[in-house]
Amino acid sequence: MDFDVLKRVLAALEARGVRYAVFGAVALNLHGLARSTEDLDLFVEPEASNIERLRMALHDAIDDPDIDGITAEDLLGDYPAIQYVPPGGGFHLDILTRLGDAFRFEDLETERVGYGDLIVTAVTPRMLYRMKRDTVRPKDRADAAALRQHFDIDE
Amino acid sequence: MPIRKFRSIEEMDAYTWRQPGDPELYRAIAFTWELARQTNPRHFEPGVHKYRSIDEMNRADDERLREHIAARRKTLPQPGTDR
Repeated sequence: MDFDVLKRVLAALEARGVRYAVFGAVALNLHGLARSTEDLDLFVEPEASNIERLRMALHDAIDDPDIDGITAEDLLGDYPAIQYVPPGGGFHLDILTRLGDAFRFEDLETERVGYGDLIVTAVTPRMLYRMKRDTVRPKDRADAAALRQHFDIDE
Repeated sequence: MPIRKFRSIEEMDAYTWRQPGDPELYRAIAFTWELARQTNPRHFEPGVHKYRSIDEMNRADDERLREHIAARRKTLPQPGTDR
């Protein structure tokens, strides 16, 4: 992941008024734990107008006609998980409108956090813990344990 | 950075949390990501890839990671060969 490219993407989301929440490893970084990652996890509000703003924001940040392949038809329909890899292939954006039956956008606990001189929206540490604790991936379970310990999260 | 001493490897490996907003956090993030990029560069197929669920996407990620690790291992010197 490239610090400056990510900042450009997040700044564009903010400028276009996209309703989103960062989760996953980037959120963990934003909450204070520097950790390597190769993707930006974005939960976006499942509204066609919001998907349109998301697409415009990505066009602002990244010069790539493939971005037009990120559509409301897919994200609101059969493909609630879209992975977009920008030219160069060094990292990816994972864009979600649904996360199983457990998490909906309107139910996410979010807060505004800094990313350098930018302020962005991320899920809270407690929300991130809840999203990670039940997964089967060892790295997610380790992250969940670290979150629980550092933020004194109750079960 | 001053020298830091630890009583065990576990203590040394403990997560280091920093306060959001602290410039040191963002320096640490940039350093960590750049180090990963230099030491373990990944390449993903550019474009838009669609999945019916996050589980399906995670399985695809895991498969790509396995392929990446296997490809990297092939580049390592084989046992018995000169380094």
